[in-house]
Amino acid sequence: MGNKQTIFTQEQLDAYQSQEPTRLSVCLRLFHRYRDLAPQLVPLDYSAKPAVTLPYELISSMPELKDNPFRQRIAEVFSEHGDGNMTLDDFLDMFSVLSEMAPRDLKAYYAFKIYDFNNDDYICKSDLAKTVNKLTRNELTPEEVSLVCEKVIYEADVDNDGKLSLADFQHMIVRAPDFLSTFHIRI
Amino acid sequence: MLLYQFQVVYKIYCILIPKFCFLCGFDAEEDLVGSLASMSSNEMIKSFRRFGNALSEFFQQLRPWHKSLKIIGAEFGTSVLSYFVFLKWLLNFNIFSFLINFGFITIPQFLAAEPNNLSFTGLELLTGAGYFQQTVLYYGFYTNATISKVENGPSYNMQLAYIFTVGIYFVICFLILLFSMARFFSSNFRLTKAFSVNASKLLCTWDFNITNEEAVKLQQKNLLTQIKVQTTGGTQLMCASHSVGDLVVHTNLCSGLFHYRQSAMLVLPVIVSLLNTLVPFLFSWLGHLEKFQSPGQHIYVTIVRNIILKISIVGILCYYWLNIVATSESQCWETLVGQDIYRLVLVDFIFCLLGSFFGEFLRRIIGTTVCVSLGLPEFDIGRNVLDLIYAQTLTWIGILFSPLLPGIQMIAFLIVFFVKKVSLMRNCQPPREVWRTAQMTTSFIFLLFCPSFLGVLSLFFHTLRLKPSEECGPFRGLPSMYAAVDEWIQMLERYTVSKWVVWIYHNLIASELFFFIISTAVLILTYLYWQIIQARKTMIKLLHNQIINAGQDKKFLLQKLQREQRAKRRSSSALGGRGQQVSLTAHLLLFNCLGQVHGAPPAVQTACCFGKRLSLRFNLNSCYLTPDSKRMQCESSLIICSRLEFSLDIEKPLPSPDIIYGYETSRKHS
Repeated sequence: MGNKQTIFTQEQLDAYQSQEPTRLSVCLRLFHRYRDLAPQLVPLDYSAKPAVTLPYELISSMPELKDNPFRQRIAEVFSEHGDGNMTLDDFLDMFSVLSEMAPRDLKAYYAFKIYDFNNDDYICKSDLAKTVNKLTRNELTPEEVSLVCEKVIYEADVDNDGKLSLADFQHMIVRAPDFLSTFHIRI
Repeated sequence: MLLYQFQVVYKIYCILIPKFCFLCGFDAEEDLVGSLASMSSNEMIKSFRRFGNALSEFFQQLRPWHKSLKIIGAEFGTSVLSYFVFLKWLLNFNIFSFLINFGFITIPQFLAAEPNNLSFTGLELLTGAGYFQQTVLYYGFYTNATISKVENGPSYNMQLAYIFTVGIYFVICFLILLFSMARFFSSNFRLTKAFSVNASKLLCTWDFNITNEEAVKLQQKNLLTQIKVQTTGGTQLMCASHSVGDLVVHTNLCSGLFHYRQSAMLVLPVIVSLLNTLVPFLFSWLGHLEKFQSPGQHIYVTIVRNIILKISIVGILCYYWLNIVATSESQCWETLVGQDIYRLVLVDFIFCLLGSFFGEFLRRIIGTTVCVSLGLPEFDIGRNVLDLIYAQTLTWIGILFSPLLPGIQMIAFLIVFFVKKVSLMRNCQPPREVWRTAQMTTSFIFLLFCPSFLGVLSLFFHTLRLKPSEECGPFRGLPSMYAAVDEWIQMLERYTVSKWVVWIYHNLIASELFFFIISTAVLILTYLYWQIIQARKTMIKLLHNQIINAGQDKKFLLQKLQREQRAKRRSSSALGGRGQQVSLTAHLLLFNCLGQVHGAPPAVQTACCFGKRLSLRFNLNSCYLTPDSKRMQCESSLIICSRLEFSLDIEKPLPSPDIIYGYETSRKHS
């Protein structure tokens, strides 16, 4: 277990491990997965903090994300500028939020951002309609989609403003104990 | 990284050793303060964290089956994965038990072993009798002597070792199960009614684990079907009452079991396993006939029936062993019971493999070639988990009579994991019905604890009071197994140094008063916590209503203000400005959603003073709290027109449930 890794400096590792409880082996494994996407772009030595960003197409070609209907939103939420192109830090953040260790509130916050397609801090009816269509491969009629969205808002909207805020979403998550195990990607 | 830790530890020693030398009178003028200061507290915390990380790295690198679990989760989802995770967790119990039994009971026995005169034929592997009777596999082989290698050297009391090893193992299992169950309950089980079923189904149940394209399409299709069923309003009739029919079936089965006990050796286990395998199919067929309100109820009723079946079988077997075999005049009843359990475990394992073969492999062949409408089979999670719990219960019962049984069960579980995984990947399709993984896992751990482990524990205590057989085993000659502990305590009483152990035994463990007091205290605490839960539930309801009311009030006020502003815009087009600058301070009264009013009682006062109405735009960012924190003050200055109308526009939506309940204004001319 002697650490001969020369990719990160000790300070960088401390920074990674103090933010979220990510283990060193997981960090290194994720780094190698990141590098495998584009070996010619990502250097082996990160101690100089190079500014390398991988484009969205490469990220979405990963086997864990390739078939996920929300892969574009996931990449956009975790990328620095919201365009889907991720640096290594973004990549590590993404997989640490989607890991088993992340607390429920953190996962709920990011799930909310993923489902909020228009980035207005609320999940409104159009966001829900897009979600439903992604989850059912566009095979529902618009009336059915609208009915489902209305039901969802009726059930989950606590303060009656016609859309779901983060507080409404978290309130719903508390009652769905499966969320922690389903909002989880194993790497 | 480890090198760094060693440097840190070395530094600490370098500090401590000079200090020690100083205390011993040496003239160590080391710069202690300097050394300590050079290692700031931050560094120490960092180094400890790194050390902790290094340790957990090491254990995580073992990571057995990580890849298999990932593949299973990717293709079949979290629900099927939970079965394999549960199997892996149960395996740990068996590994732990095998290690401590082997270390503390079997290895010393090897030193004092008697020669085995029986011959080995292959049949022993199946029946457990014959050659195995005189091996360490069974209770009867263990000696009751105190073993010592060297004359007058340290001795090893086999009786105490046996009873304490098994006892302490059960205590540790109890604690592990209790804490796991409590942890799962607190995070997964929701006692309040889930009235956001649709919302959570849409937003919280998409399984991100699934990465196989076909499985993703299937999951999407399932969700589509569920939504379509809900929007078309499918309803089903209530189920008829099943309880009477269940009881009749169970009593018939179990009475039949009772009559077979006198037959040949393997017949009993085979019949038990046949019952265990075939009757659940009967139950699920019955379940298809009956009409249920929801598919979840169907699963739930089938599982409950299976549980009752297994409890009845285990109950009858234990009654037979402990009341009939133990009091019969047979030579070594514990070994007989151990052999029975060995056979049961083995035949159950064989039937599990056969069930996988017939249930999944043949069913797939039938479903794809002969009768295509059936399709591929699904992995029946409930039935398989109950089989695991049953097997583990048998193992726990058998630990006292056959100390190496956990090792056999360990090997069995390993093979089952492999076989089930292969069968799953080749034969099954992902589940179609909704399976509430978190709640079901909690229920299964609860089942493992409550009927299964607690039953085994009560059996263990009952067995301790039975009369052990005269000719074999570590407790031969004693009136009961527990008498060994009594004798040991009597022996300890002679030494003054161990008087405290004797005191603890007499006053805490063997005293009824102490247990009565503890039970009363636990019951009182439970009642108190129950009342707190009820109060919190009421509080949650009240707060929920408050949030709804606050939302409605906010909506009402905003609509009213918007109406007034629209009216103002319509009539203010032809006004000439006077150019008079007025600075206004509006005091906004706020109170939070618990209804506590900050400051004055609520009153909606429009600033119709002076018969004029004024239009103000407030940006809430420019507001501040007055020093007494009772009011929030916003200032704005305007150029007013001749006819003033007042309305309040709030530019930024309110970020919190706080409500503006009213405002009063004061005006001063500049």
